Amino acid sequence: MSRTSFRFGDLRVVALGLVFVLAWAGIGYRLFQVQGADAAELAQRGFDQRVRHETIPAKRGTIFDRDGVELAVTILGKALVADPSLIDDPADAAAVLAPVLDADYVELAKRLDGDGRFTYVARDLENDVVADVEAVIEEADLIGFSFEDAPIRIYPSGALAAPVIGLTRSDDGSGIEGIESVMDTELAGRPGKRVVERDQAGRAIPQGEFLLESAIRGSDVILTLDRGIQFVAEQSLQSAIDATDALGGSVVVMDPRTGEILAMVSLPGFDGTDRSTLDPASIRNRAVTDVHEPGSTLKVVTVAAALEEGVVRPDTPFETPQEIEIVGETYTDHGSHPSVMTVTDIVAHSSNVGTIKIQRQLGDEVHYRYLDAFGLGRPAAIDFRGEATGRLDHVSEWCGPACSASAAIGYGIGATTLQMAAVFATLANDGEWVEPHVVQEIAAPDGTVIKTTPRTRRVVSAETAETMRSMLRGVVEDGTGYRADIAEFPVGGKTGTSDKFDVEAGEYSETETTAWFIGIAPIDDPALVAAVVLDAPQGKLADDTELKFGGASAAPVFAEIVESALHQLGVAPVGSDDE
Amino acid sequence: MTAGAFPRTPVGRIDRKRSSRPVVRPLVIFVVAVTIAFFAVIYSRISLDRTAFELQQLDREIAVEEQLHWDLRAEHARLQAPDRITQRAAELGLVYPVDQRSIEVTGVERGVGGPEDRLTDLRALFTEQP
Repeated sequence: MSRTSFRFGDLRVVALGLVFVLAWAGIGYRLFQVQGADAAELAQRGFDQRVRHETIPAKRGTIFDRDGVELAVTILGKALVADPSLIDDPADAAAVLAPVLDADYVELAKRLDGDGRFTYVARDLENDVVADVEAVIEEADLIGFSFEDAPIRIYPSGALAAPVIGLTRSDDGSGIEGIESVMDTELAGRPGKRVVERDQAGRAIPQGEFLLESAIRGSDVILTLDRGIQFVAEQSLQSAIDATDALGGSVVVMDPRTGEILAMVSLPGFDGTDRSTLDPASIRNRAVTDVHEPGSTLKVVTVAAALEEGVVRPDTPFETPQEIEIVGETYTDHGSHPSVMTVTDIVAHSSNVGTIKIQRQLGDEVHYRYLDAFGLGRPAAIDFRGEATGRLDHVSEWCGPACSASAAIGYGIGATTLQMAAVFATLANDGEWVEPHVVQEIAAPDGTVIKTTPRTRRVVSAETAETMRSMLRGVVEDGTGYRADIAEFPVGGKTGTSDKFDVEAGEYSETETTAWFIGIAPIDDPALVAAVVLDAPQGKLADDTELKFGGASAAPVFAEIVESALHQLGVAPVGSDDE
Repeated sequence: MTAGAFPRTPVGRIDRKRSSRPVVRPLVIFVVAVTIAFFAVIYSRISLDRTAFELQQLDREIAVEEQLHWDLRAEHARLQAPDRITQRAAELGLVYPVDQRSIEVTGVERGVGGPEDRLTDLRALFTEQP
């Protein structure tokens, strides 16, 4: 009996011992695994769990106007993110959040429904909105939502100059249009790198953060735009578009001496901050992308070339019947005028017949050379990616007398508003063409300043340019451009009306035109040039003048813009002591 | 009384007692020194951590101040927006004067200086901004 019980006890001891041995062996094996065999891998996994390589985003540079007013600035906002796997009732959460986020309920519910672990609910949330969203989330006891820091690009002046300034992408903040795109490399800066040790809750552990590379803030870009002049130009053009039912329009105001663009308007426009109403068609900058036939405004090139070459003088007379036929094509003049006119009168009355006759004396080769020298058929400015080159066929491709006649009066040649503004700026700047530009300088964070140096070239002599300015004054004083006259400042300019070419019909439209007015102010001491284009203006004035003509619709816009701009620039009006 | 009658002085024990004093003292000093060093290390570590926390807090405050700086500049630009001012003016019933006259004030320079003068303040701002 005692031997049996001893055996049982012995067995139990042995079994227990065995269990202990096995347990310790297991523990030993695990220890060996953890501390020996797999030590390196496990240490790395632990390291990876708490140590993260992070990118430090670089703050995007600011875009200023010429007076240092912010036109585009980056502030730190929030993005609302969600873990859909934690959301019990996506429809309910969407119903709660949609109103405060001003989001579409159906789309939001769809985004919150799923097995994914991460989705963006809303980006670009400013602090006041974040507070509202937080309150709603807390009140409705929603789980699975959190906020992330996210830079927001805002445009404090709203739609002002939006097609020039452009846009950034909402996800990575890179520029996609306008100056935001052209200057993206400079504005973006360089992101930094750091290693951060974080605790379980994701908080950074002090002394556990190591900076590998500092982020370098993007450079600031100072534009030549003047916010005050830009605003007046936009308001005036919008009023004209509303009054004439035009499809759109563009304005360029520039300083002819420096090539600086003081205002550039493209309507319809957009508000870069409010992307919900963004219409892709309104993003383009019409002043540099849309090509029109410049019509009579291009007569200045024909006449300036003829004067420069000594082919004509301002008082050279020409027989000017109401119409002329060239190779079966009839060219007529609008409105009655004397049957004999001087070159000055031809410009003032915008005579097609007279200008064609001047061009005949000039010759195609020389005419083409001046069209090219004035910058037609090639991009005019430095700062606009995708700027249209316009259309100027080489003289060898001209179709003969009909093409020559058309070119003389601004048909068969395509130009942007900016290109034509540069043509008149050349005349205002004593015959020297200065490359138009909208970026004045780029200021790097280290204090380095890179200034824009525009190209220049002599096109006509100062004497020819002065003669042309005198003729342009006549257009406003006694000719087709009288609606551009301003009481306080002597201005000069040229009207233009070109029939729009209907691509589908393959012929010129009988109802739709492009209405132009381009002028110089003050004409005796030019401070600025303004070009106004209206796309298909309709209707009539009280005196029955059709608004499709540049003199009726575009000239008053020029007057309104220029009068305000000259006041803003501090130019003394006529009659003041300063004159 | 013989010499053997006197109790034998435990010379060795007395010597041992005397010789043990200099052994204990350095030990105590060592222990105290180690303890002080231990607490000094702990203290320095704690104060280092505290400084690190303070630095972290300062970094956060700088970030908040920077954000405030840009928020204020953006708000300033928003408040100056011509469109907003025009709307406010219209609400207040302000209109452009019908009869405008230019008055030349003698002794007052025209304009606001050249581009260089105008941009001096702006450049100073660029180098100072965060």
